[in-house]
Amino acid sequence: MDGGVINIETWRLLLALVFALLAGGCSLALKLGLGRDILIGTVRTFAQLFLMGWVLGIVFAVESPWLVLGLFLVMAAAAAHTARGRVKESAVAFAWPMYFSMAAVYLLITITVTGAIIHAEPWWKPQYFLPIGGMVLGNSMNSVALALDRLFSDLRARAAMVEMKLCLGADAAEASAEEVRTAVRAGMIPSLNSMMAVGLVSIPGMMTGQILGGNDPTQAIRYQIVVMLMIVGATALGSTILTLIIRRRCFGPGDRPLLR
Amino acid sequence: MPRQTSAQTPHLALARVRFAHARPAAESGPAGATRNILNDADLAVPRGAFVLLTGPSGAGKSTLLRLFCRLEEPQTGQVLLDGRPVAELPPAVLRRRVSYLQQTPTVVAGSVRDNLLLPFSFKAAADEPLPGDAALQTLLESLAMDDVPLGQEAATLSVGQRQRLCLARALLTRPEALLLDEPVSALDQESARAVLDAAESFCLERGGTVILVSHADFVPARVAPAHYRLEGGRLTWMGA
Repeated sequence: MDGGVINIETWRLLLALVFALLAGGCSLALKLGLGRDILIGTVRTFAQLFLMGWVLGIVFAVESPWLVLGLFLVMAAAAAHTARGRVKESAVAFAWPMYFSMAAVYLLITITVTGAIIHAEPWWKPQYFLPIGGMVLGNSMNSVALALDRLFSDLRARAAMVEMKLCLGADAAEASAEEVRTAVRAGMIPSLNSMMAVGLVSIPGMMTGQILGGNDPTQAIRYQIVVMLMIVGATALGSTILTLIIRRRCFGPGDRPLLR
Repeated sequence: MPRQTSAQTPHLALARVRFAHARPAAESGPAGATRNILNDADLAVPRGAFVLLTGPSGAGKSTLLRLFCRLEEPQTGQVLLDGRPVAELPPAVLRRRVSYLQQTPTVVAGSVRDNLLLPFSFKAAADEPLPGDAALQTLLESLAMDDVPLGQEAATLSVGQRQRLCLARALLTRPEALLLDEPVSALDQESARAVLDAAESFCLERGGTVILVSHADFVPARVAPAHYRLEGGRLTWMGA
């Protein structure tokens, strides 16, 4: 025991590999063809988390706001890159606007949570800022990918409808308003579903961490409520802003639809 | 190339327009090649003219119509409305002056009335008064849709009725020109006749310009159309 948390010794950590072996066994037995993915996923889990632990150790020790912001922007770039990879659309260039919008929106939300709600001092205190920022980015990455994928697929599937409205005098925003609404809704639904299930189906990550750390569960609950509301707000704001910005890029000069 | 001329500025015109599509992968030819749709095409359509445009499938007849309302942009050359490049007009204004009717009728969820009033929900029509039910009903009657109540769900209409509804909706925006993209190809005889009658009336009674794309040879009953044929990137005047 160290500060309320039971330390996991190296050999016990390696013992956890038995679960990866179990997954590999299922893949072999059922000929799922996932053996390579399970192996790469396991190695990446070890490598990425050890690297993150090492970097966080340095950032916590240095305590520089620039270093914290720099790390946040790297995390935002990784989130944007991952979300970009999940959206299969090549006719519209959206990678850069996506990165800048994600970085700006989620930075603002993270600052609001650490500075105004948790009231960390200073607001960029890495022990608060980076985990909170990571949760905002991780959840929003999925919602942004879902929203954009839906936007692009709907603009293609409903091209005749969009075009019909344009021909009757609608501008690009009016012609695609319905597709934008559906896309933002698609981005928000997973976080809303999590809100419905939280505390009933699972004890969420942040709360689990605090309880394992020996904290008072009633205090852990308060943190988790902030996190849940923050994620809903972040996914709503991120999906809306990203969808609106990238919708504009789906139309050429003269409000000409590019997706058909 | 012989073509119709006018001493006045033509209402709709193409001036040395070149347009090429990327060649679909399924077609023969080198990868990344393009297929010429219009090769330095010229066209001058006087106000109030009725143009019949024919040509083989895939020749680019729809593309030609779509150029006039900026749903396509030419690679070179100019597309003109009253002598002015269409790119100089705000797109919503252009598309209400030059109304393009899609080949497949597209209706929104809701009643016939909701569909007819759709163009008035856009900012471009903010200052226009909403037509009343009596005006809408009269318009439907002119398209042989007397038996269709305004409250009926548009989705329950037949294809022919939906095409007539779409034409009525386009006419409510009071366009100067109608671009009709094979509007009768999938219609029964009654619907086809009603659509073509309305197009001829638009030309004769309102002085509007019509370009009608048609696969089949079509002879209007009341107007003498200028017949053009589009094939292999060339637009040829076939006579009046």
